[in-house]
Amino acid sequence: MHIPDGFLSPSVCITGYALTGGVTWYCLRQIERDRNIQANIPKASLLTAAFFVASLINIPIPPTSIHLIFNGLMGALLGYYAFLAILIGLFFQAVMFQHGGMSTLGVNAIIIGSPSIAAYHLFQQRGRLGSNKPVLTTILSFVSGAGALLLSAAMFAILLVTNISPDMDVNAERTAILISLSGYSIQAVIEGVFTVMLISFLEKVKPELLKS
Amino acid sequence: MIRFYFFLSLLALIAVPEKTLAHGANIEYRQTAAITIEAKYDDGTPMANAQVVVYAPSDRATPWLKGTTDESGNFTFVPDTKPENIGDWDVKVRQSGHGDITSIPLSEGENVADTQLASGGRGYTSAQKAIMAAAGIWGFIGTALYFSRSKSSKLD
Repeated sequence: MHIPDGFLSPSVCITGYALTGGVTWYCLRQIERDRNIQANIPKASLLTAAFFVASLINIPIPPTSIHLIFNGLMGALLGYYAFLAILIGLFFQAVMFQHGGMSTLGVNAIIIGSPSIAAYHLFQQRGRLGSNKPVLTTILSFVSGAGALLLSAAMFAILLVTNISPDMDVNAERTAILISLSGYSIQAVIEGVFTVMLISFLEKVKPELLKS
Repeated sequence: MIRFYFFLSLLALIAVPEKTLAHGANIEYRQTAAITIEAKYDDGTPMANAQVVVYAPSDRATPWLKGTTDESGNFTFVPDTKPENIGDWDVKVRQSGHGDITSIPLSEGENVADTQLASGGRGYTSAQKAIMAAAGIWGFIGTALYFSRSKSSKLD
């Protein structure tokens, strides 16, 4: 789901950076209001490490292979810290493993990071609707995990389909992108189930981590 | 996540220009050099049926050749030897949003039958990758430990 260098026009890359700058500023402002920054930074840092290595694990789903993203999980656990954590994780993935690219860092941060904020707001509904209902928690964590990934996949596909270089066979490439969406829907289920497992585990072991 | 290892090999191919005569056949042949690329995802799976676009050094804006890789990610083309096309040939491979571009240097008189192997040069071995990943993780864990140190352990 990381767009490499050379796939998007410079104007799209610059727009991506501008949007990422805006969202980063907004997230930092929200974090500034957080009373418990000292306790939340270690949590964010550890999940950044998980995000950073998760992408190195390939799961082959023909015709392509996928790797885990966990942006919904990060959003549910970290809130506004998630966007910054993802931005930092993407930066290191691009620098160390050429996974994604420096010119497309802004675009990738929007594709992967912004659904995590949506997942955070969705998961926060748990506090309003009653946090002691296990079924509700399960549903919300699955939808956060799977929905954030599907949102990312949709943004990724739309961006690529509208930016196919005219030198390519546009129809063949469009078909290939649409086929890869089926792989992402399987990935969404995997990540949704993982989010449910981790959140129900945390709720038993360390429920204070889920309050933010 | 996807990077490719491109292997470039100069192979001797036999090109057979067609020439039909009324009652006989005549075959001419000449040897030329061809370039074969092998495109793989960085987990080693070949990129089958991926789109390939080749750009000649004389005109980098318009594609010189388009094609697709075969089942094992291979694609072969014969670059022309016009003087203006001596230089770096760019080959772009792409499949469902994954892909890479590589530059193949071509100099004059290289159409001999020897085989060269070159790769994109960005491939790390899995041990190198593991060490890099461990270093990255340790950086994040260190950050976490720094911010989670207890107040009493500060020296001030």
